[in-house]
Amino acid sequence: MPQTILEVEDLKSYFYTEAGVVKAVDGVSFTVNKGEPLGLVGESGSGKTVTALSVLRIVPHPGRVVSGKITFHDEDLLAKTEKEMRRVRGKQIGYVSQDPNSSLDPLFTVESQLTEVVMAHEKLSNEVASERVLKLLQLVKIPEPEARLKAYPHELSGGMRQRIAIARALAAEPDLLIADEPTTNLDVTIQAQVLELLKDLERELEMALILITHDMGIVAEMAQKVVVLYAGRVAEVSHVKEIFSAPKHPYTAALLQAVPRIDKKRELVPIPGSIPNLITPPSGCRYHPRCGYMIDKCVSIEPTLERVGEGREVSCHRWRELSLGESS
Amino acid sequence: MRSGGKKPVRRGASQRAVGWRRFKRNKTGLAGLGIIAFFTLLAVYGLFLDPVPGRSYACLSTGCSNLPPFADWNHPLGTETSGIDVWHEIIHGSAGDLYVGFGATLIAVVIGLAIGALAGYRTGFSGAVLLGFTQLFFVLPVLVLILLFSKILLTFVARGLGLTLIVLILGLFGWPFIAFIARGEILRIRELEFVQASRALGASNFRILFRHIVPNLLSSIIVVASLAVAGNIVTEVVISYLGFGDANTSTWGLIIQEGANYANTSWWIAFFPGIAVVLCVLGFNLLGDGLSDALNPRLRE
Repeated sequence: MPQTILEVEDLKSYFYTEAGVVKAVDGVSFTVNKGEPLGLVGESGSGKTVTALSVLRIVPHPGRVVSGKITFHDEDLLAKTEKEMRRVRGKQIGYVSQDPNSSLDPLFTVESQLTEVVMAHEKLSNEVASERVLKLLQLVKIPEPEARLKAYPHELSGGMRQRIAIARALAAEPDLLIADEPTTNLDVTIQAQVLELLKDLERELEMALILITHDMGIVAEMAQKVVVLYAGRVAEVSHVKEIFSAPKHPYTAALLQAVPRIDKKRELVPIPGSIPNLITPPSGCRYHPRCGYMIDKCVSIEPTLERVGEGREVSCHRWRELSLGESS
Repeated sequence: MRSGGKKPVRRGASQRAVGWRRFKRNKTGLAGLGIIAFFTLLAVYGLFLDPVPGRSYACLSTGCSNLPPFADWNHPLGTETSGIDVWHEIIHGSAGDLYVGFGATLIAVVIGLAIGALAGYRTGFSGAVLLGFTQLFFVLPVLVLILLFSKILLTFVARGLGLTLIVLILGLFGWPFIAFIARGEILRIRELEFVQASRALGASNFRILFRHIVPNLLSSIIVVASLAVAGNIVTEVVISYLGFGDANTSTWGLIIQEGANYANTSWWIAFFPGIAVVLCVLGFNLLGDGLSDALNPRLRE
């Protein structure tokens, strides 16, 4: 039985804007196990990032976590005070954000930014801290680490910056790393290197990993378990192999059809329409306006997340009748 | 392949170093800096080395009153009818005006940064109150209030303080502008990813504000401050010209005010100090322009 590190249950995070309440995350549940990298997948606006920020309890104003339960290491994160949360952030859960160009403070050297995080969570002497910082740079495979210590972010390449950002997230040796689209703003070749690095780190440091992405290719490469989000809800949970061979949810199938495949010659099929307005989401199943398999029931009744097999859950009324495999 | 011995350790180029490199390429900015350096030297000379004291009526007894400029090289820019030497008064006045310019701006920046930072960082009720308080100053007739305060305080309360009083008043009325800019910058910077990243890694609000946000807005504040120095010098001239200043301390405004009474007969009394004001204000404006080119990341090629 794999060790469960993080359990999110019925998480709801809403944004209270002037235009209305945006239900960015509306009842999301999943678990993260050690040694089972989790891919959190969905289009822009599906609630991936807000889910991650909710776990850290740093959803920006005017948003906030409304309800749900987040259990990390058998502790309820939502019940913690702000001060207690600060010891979880960085120390127990590391976070790598999307854009390496702006996630480092332009005014400080690599060394001082890493030292800041190391020192924030542990009282260390300067020598021990700088040793740790150097080790971190070696850990993320920065060439000539000593020379990079005194560099400013603008003197580094995008891939190098993202390595620094990863090093910073690992500075206090967290048990869980959340990487929010860590490669979206990088060149393809650099992407592969950064993903490789994350994979190695996950194994070497034996930490749990949540990888947020919209790229099914990255999911195939990196994740063992996949959670597909749509409009703030979980559409499907699955092992990575099965989700590619036999998706159960029409949205997952559509996502896969929108990805180019080198081994199969076929037309790319875009998903019609766009993600719905989350102030007044569609009735019933949120995907129904864009779904090719929609029936009357989908408009009126909201499907629940059903367990359909070992480690598989799907939220669709018609999962039994539909066969959505790649071959079909 | 590597040569023996120690490899040269490459120092990273800080934002400051990069900014200075960019600033050096900007000719008008350097000209501004040159003008300011010139007046600073004049001020230092006037404070410590000039044998002729400020507001000296020595010429009354030696008979060199009301000399036109360039007539007597002991008094190159002429003298007033009261015997005061215009050139030496400009020298002493630059000390006074730079004191007012820098002093008032320093006070305004400190208060403005603190209030602007809080108003920008706290989005809730307290931020709105601070913002409202700041905006109140934009609708008040500030110049009239400044004149009123300096008149009352100089006459009744703090006669001995002289220019320091003007510095305090200008500083206390000058901060809302700085606060407004600081608030706007903070609203921008707080949304940047490195702020979210440091929050995600466990930094406290205090740390985020003072270690990551404030240092990042200093570049815009420096630009605004250099323009504010020019503005404060002009306001000092206005105060003195209208007769609300301290009549015992040398400032350019004071000579201009004295000279204005003789404008039809002795034009040089007001003319040369006026040139000094224009030059000095131009210097600070050019500097501010150069700094804004050098420090503004959006203008970077």
